[in-house]
Amino acid sequence: MDSLLQRFSGARLGVNAATALVIWGLLTWLNQVIDPLMSYYLATTAMYATAMFGMTILLGLSGQVSLGNGALMAIGGYIFALTSMNWQTVPILGTPWNAVWSMVFAGVGGVVFGAAIGGIAARLRGPYLAGLTLGIAVGVPAIANRFPGLLGGENGLMLQVPYPEGGYASQDVGIDEGIDEAGGVAGDDEPVYEELPDEFADQGEELPVDDGGPAEEDMLSEDDFLSEDDFLSDEDFTTDDGFDTELAEDDLLSEDDFLSDEDFTTDDGFDTGLAEEDLLTEDDFLSEDDFTTDEGFEADVDSSLGSDDGGDIDGANEIVDTTDPAADLDLAGIDSEFVIEQWQASVAIAVACVVGFIALNLVRGRQGRVWKAVRDDPIAAAVSGISPAGSKISAFVISSLFAALAGAVFAQILSYVGPGAFTLGLSLSLLVGVVLGGRNSFIGAIIGAVILVWLPEFVLGLSADRGWQDQITNNAPNFIYGLLVVLVVLVAPGGIVGGIQGLVGRVRSGNRTGPRTG
Amino acid sequence: MIDFIDYLLGGVSSGAIIALMALALVLVWRSTRVVNFAQLGQAMFTTYVALTVRDLTGSWVLGLLVAMVAGLVVGVIVHFLVIRPVKRLDTSGAIIATFGVLIALEALAAMVWGGDPEAFPPPIDNAGFELFGRIWPFSPYDLLVLFSVVILVLALSVVFTRTNVGLAMRASAFNPEVARLSGVRVNRMLVLGWAIAGLVGAVAGVLVAPLSTLSPTSFDIFLVFAFTAAVIGGLDSLVGAVAFGIGTGLVIALVSGYSDSSNAPLVALALLILNLLFKPEGVFSHHKARAV
Amino acid sequence: MLKIEGLSVSYGAVEALKDVSLDAPPGRVTAVIGANGAGKSTLMRTLAGLEKPKSGRIVFNDQDITGGKPEDIVRQGIALVPEGRSTIPDLTVEENLKLGGMWRTHAQRGTSLTRVYGLFPVLGERRHLGADTLSGGERQQLAIGRALMTGPQTLLLDEPSLGLAPLIVTQILELVSQMARDSGLAVLLVEQNAATALRVAKTGIVLNLGEIVRAGRPMRSHKTRSCDMHTSATDPLEAQRGIAP
Repeated sequence: MDSLLQRFSGARLGVNAATALVIWGLLTWLNQVIDPLMSYYLATTAMYATAMFGMTILLGLSGQVSLGNGALMAIGGYIFALTSMNWQTVPILGTPWNAVWSMVFAGVGGVVFGAAIGGIAARLRGPYLAGLTLGIAVGVPAIANRFPGLLGGENGLMLQVPYPEGGYASQDVGIDEGIDEAGGVAGDDEPVYEELPDEFADQGEELPVDDGGPAEEDMLSEDDFLSEDDFLSDEDFTTDDGFDTELAEDDLLSEDDFLSDEDFTTDDGFDTGLAEEDLLTEDDFLSEDDFTTDEGFEADVDSSLGSDDGGDIDGANEIVDTTDPAADLDLAGIDSEFVIEQWQASVAIAVACVVGFIALNLVRGRQGRVWKAVRDDPIAAAVSGISPAGSKISAFVISSLFAALAGAVFAQILSYVGPGAFTLGLSLSLLVGVVLGGRNSFIGAIIGAVILVWLPEFVLGLSADRGWQDQITNNAPNFIYGLLVVLVVLVAPGGIVGGIQGLVGRVRSGNRTGPRTG
Repeated sequence: MIDFIDYLLGGVSSGAIIALMALALVLVWRSTRVVNFAQLGQAMFTTYVALTVRDLTGSWVLGLLVAMVAGLVVGVIVHFLVIRPVKRLDTSGAIIATFGVLIALEALAAMVWGGDPEAFPPPIDNAGFELFGRIWPFSPYDLLVLFSVVILVLALSVVFTRTNVGLAMRASAFNPEVARLSGVRVNRMLVLGWAIAGLVGAVAGVLVAPLSTLSPTSFDIFLVFAFTAAVIGGLDSLVGAVAFGIGTGLVIALVSGYSDSSNAPLVALALLILNLLFKPEGVFSHHKARAV
Repeated sequence: MLKIEGLSVSYGAVEALKDVSLDAPPGRVTAVIGANGAGKSTLMRTLAGLEKPKSGRIVFNDQDITGGKPEDIVRQGIALVPEGRSTIPDLTVEENLKLGGMWRTHAQRGTSLTRVYGLFPVLGERRHLGADTLSGGERQQLAIGRALMTGPQTLLLDEPSLGLAPLIVTQILELVSQMARDSGLAVLLVEQNAATALRVAKTGIVLNLGEIVRAGRPMRSHKTRSCDMHTSATDPLEAQRGIAP
């Protein structure tokens, strides 16, 4: 424990925490005000940044060129997907499963595999380390193909991204059928993964999807909703009001015949094995309040729907984005402002800020100095009592942890994990990002993440104007990345951040000092 | 037993090709102490060139020759991009630069020829020989591959051991300062090393394409195989590259035969890890791989 | 002839050579002696083109060759035998020799090779063996032989005695000195071991902390078998000009 505290000493924990909180606050606000597509970009950028904080530590601080982080992302992503799909009913430490646990396990997987790889790799010199991690980057996704049952093989695994209140983004359910978030440890934000019972599995196919608007027959009207009249009331169950049966009073159901609250305690010998929370309570059912047409409907549904507009709903004040399943909930009268991309972005941002906080503390503390010492002069460091191998392994473990968490976030953004998502290209992209942004600085990592997300969009925009072929548009960013990497290594090894620092230095001193390299 | 022989036979030509690829890596390492991770990307590029020439002219041989020339040229270009300016900086700069070149080459190939896998037709029959009433997993094309590899390796070996240029290249690799003091233009020898490596890689690429698919990323796995073979043999050792290149090909063929071909990258990885754990400097080398 | 004029060389802030001037006339051995760190090897490496001087000129046969590349300087006729065993153990003895002077004609190289094997018979005996099989003294011979293969007019010898038994060193140096007299080769010899060096040298120059502090003609005392220098001036050029060719 002492050494753990020692690693953080001198770190100005408070300042770093404040920085992380401020950034988290800003990004969360940003996330609320931008539209869903931008939220998606924000999510992806935050995800890349998370992984790249690890690369900054590994490459910049510890001086190790490694292509293994894509594989670590795969490990984190797969662990997250598998645990959240298969373990929802497994309690951990007394609390029911939720996504935070999946994240934790993804992180643990990252640490374990990072230690294993680091144990071998950290003793190797540059090209051997690079080559080994290259092999890992190419080989690990192939493992998925070896276990098609468990790991989904070539096609990967789909996973369902949850709403915070329960339910899934990929299906319009409206009714939360299962375990609600009462089981969450940290509060009501925790998404709960569950599988829908089979009878609901088909509903998805009948729901309107992406067509730019619901068809008329798919729209709910007042007739579709149950009203009080539809329910049986007590009066229906007396024999006096002309119930035309030959049933005697004894034959009729009385109140005693129905299950009451008392029956649903586990103490009374109810042997369903269900806990009280498992059972449906009144809250779980839609009541009349949920079905009013007046509240929460973000569109005006009126009789002129009969026209063949095919697109927007007539008379709507805003255009409902009905590709967004959350809007379907709205149309069903369920009060929700939930947008899946915002949710994904908020997860990504939260993870990135937490990881950034950890990274800042490590780097500005003793551990950061240890890493730098070993990078600059391993023999001097060894003589000073620092184990170079140990410090390299620790850099590996930390960067693997970050990568695994980023992979878990990636899985949520894609709603999917598969070998095709975690190729060698991903590892190379991470390398590109830190090199271009600046390998020695976390701001460089963020800049790198922004470049990775923005440049392809920029190229897409250019190509739309000029009518480039797809194969050019899709590959031009990579071509540019490759050339830029070579250029950066030649001219400005510190990347964008390093270049700016160099310029500022020169302007300040007014001297013609050359850029510091290495 | 017959299975074993079959699998071995099936692995001979891929082993020979991996030997060439490992040889290219070692050539570059010996001349400039850099592992050129772009080497197989260069080979991929020149193989596309060969395919284009072949489609235009109908001649596989012409395609091969043009690819060899292209290999020389691309090797020289990449050398100047990666080595000359980078030499002064730390070694991680050179490594990163080679990955930059790899990324750029793969993207460029995709832009020019498209990202979909292409078929590269073999110049002669690729169906197994029929002997003693059975079809053997060894075809006329495999024979051509073997023959080409043997010729190339012999030619290189003669150049290295019996010519002045070869002596100059070897000396430049072993002790550039002494070579300079003897009047050898060491920088030119370094460029020559990369050029020859590019040529060797180009031949390997053209030979392997009919046995596999050709796409911008299809040679990535070969980079892993070639690197593994080169490291096991010792990055300094040309003989080791050839010997363990063939060995790696045979092992992969055996593994693919007895279990599943998708195990191949994992087996190579396992071999690499074992080697790096126990004898990282390689079997034939007198050079250190460990930093601490 | 090799003439050095006001040569100054710095490694960063450290001045290794300060304003050094001397000549290396043909047909004789000129010795530069001094303790460790005096700047002797720096002088040699700069002359060979491995280091760049901060100021000063190196003139060879009336041509300014300051700042030239080693592979060009050797082609012009200045060959350095560097400090330490500068042979390549991975090559054979003959390959080490053939490394020198590849730009010369086949005939020239053939003659040189014969001459080297004549001077150093042990090399001839082991010509196809690896250079790593040679002893220290043999490797020094090999290094000199390689330099001779470049057909030099001026031979730079950097501390040939390092790590070698005195007898062997004497043998080698006397061979070299003989060669100088016979063929007009100019030899610039740099040594810590003053006695050995001065025994074969016509001119002695003392280097200390990068500067020339003494120069003159060595005096050989046959009685005491010691050597000292008869210094007539501190300016080595003057001292050298005072000596009859």
